Amino acid sequence: MTLSIPLRRSAVTAARVQTSTTFICSQCRHATLLRRPKRPYTFTQLITLSDGSAFTHRTTSPAPVYRSTRDTRNSLLWNPSSSKLMNVEEDEAGRLAAFRAKFGRSWDANTPTEAEASKKAEQPDKEAEAAARAAAEEEEDNLLDLITFMYSTSYHLVEIPALRVRASR
Amino acid sequence: MAASESSRYLARSLPRAFVPTARPQGFCLRRNVSDQASSKAAPADLNELESASSLTSTTLSEATAKSFDPIARTKARKKQLPRSRYQFRSPKYDRGPLHPHQPPPPSDPSSRLYVPGPFSLPRVEQTYQSTVASDILTLCYVHNPPGFKPPPKAPRLRSWDDSSPYHKNRPLRGPRGGDVLRLLRKPINFNNVPQLERITIHSYVKQAAQENSSWLHVAGMAVQAISNARVETFKSKTSVATWSIAPGRDTVAVKAELRGEDMLHFFGKLVDVVMPRIKDWEGVKGSSGDSSGNITFGLEPENVALFPEIEVNYDMYPPKMIPGCHITIHTSAKTDKDARLLLSAMGIPFYGKMVD
Repeated sequence: MTLSIPLRRSAVTAARVQTSTTFICSQCRHATLLRRPKRPYTFTQLITLSDGSAFTHRTTSPAPVYRSTRDTRNSLLWNPSSSKLMNVEEDEAGRLAAFRAKFGRSWDANTPTEAEASKKAEQPDKEAEAAARAAAEEEEDNLLDLITFMYSTSYHLVEIPALRVRASR
Repeated sequence: MAASESSRYLARSLPRAFVPTARPQGFCLRRNVSDQASSKAAPADLNELESASSLTSTTLSEATAKSFDPIARTKARKKQLPRSRYQFRSPKYDRGPLHPHQPPPPSDPSSRLYVPGPFSLPRVEQTYQSTVASDILTLCYVHNPPGFKPPPKAPRLRSWDDSSPYHKNRPLRGPRGGDVLRLLRKPINFNNVPQLERITIHSYVKQAAQENSSWLHVAGMAVQAISNARVETFKSKTSVATWSIAPGRDTVAVKAELRGEDMLHFFGKLVDVVMPRIKDWEGVKGSSGDSSGNITFGLEPENVALFPEIEVNYDMYPPKMIPGCHITIHTSAKTDKDARLLLSAMGIPFYGKMVD
């Protein structure tokens, strides 16, 4: 026992010396390189929309200001109710309309002018309302008719009102 | 033998009984209101505690207050302060979870994978937070009267009727009318309002396989310019004989994946600047979408050229090499209907028949 201790000590020191002197480049197969993410350089750009509103964003383009001529503020797809953007000819004096009335053909005769377009924008609601009202009245009439008929007749004639309603339609 | 063993056990067991337990048995700090206040009070000596509280103001001498001037001291300094002696450098390689030298998580600024930001609050995000989210929440509200219980639904995966002995231990049957198990749509709540998750810009350049790689380089540059993100390249997975494309051989596609700030800036400029300038464009087709809340549309090469980043430097790109691309908008919505509601609220027009 006493003999073994110095032997072991010397062995330990020898090993330490070896590891400190030799540089062991151990190969590691399961090592994935951590790549630094590449990011393009970005600038802050001010985008000025056609109505004058502006906002900043980050882009790769170095221009500090971008003025857009065509964007959501003046395109018809984003402003479907705007009469300004609609493709309607200006005809204040009514000369174009007069010309069309005189010489226009069928496809040409009913091109909407500015006033008509604006009128049309209002009209559909009224028309739709009127149609809905008429439909409702009609239905009511039919039903009332049915009820009165059913009440007036006895029960063995139940099939007849259905026939009658179908005929009236 | 037996006697000695018993004595050994006794010797082991005896000290255990006499060791004082860490927690005194009779002492309990829990008190009730009905208890006497003093009867269960802690017997600790409170005299050692300081009576003055730190919240009361302490008087500071005038001289110390005058002498404290950190700005002047910083300005008087001639040299820069030495940096901290210990600077952590992340390992270059990730050697697996069992290796003693672990890289820090990517959120750590010292990590090699760290991406700083966000540096701005994009306009799209502000619009979303201020108006779009609450609008969608209102639109998707379904009122249930108190006490309402939804009717129980059939299970999505059906069980087999045990008409055959072979049905035993089979996995459950798929849903009726197709094997696709669709995403579950939960009612939209304040904490699951659909929002943009990521945008993928993908461009398939067939000429990269037919002619040379310059097509791919130009496509990559163009996509990087419009998206503020590095692109990845992909090899073909399928063989297209007419374009002489073989799977695994030809690098034909370029993809940029945008998240967070980049995504929102890209979405903003796409909607506000690029889409209105597309000639004769009706909008995104209503039938697009993968029926789980992701909507894709395509841009032609001449539409990609309308991006301000490409327009400002149009001469840099060979005109015929500017790529078209597919843009997929991934939202957190579970159905296309919700995704379309979100996107149309954020400014993308849809046309045609809406397929949900």
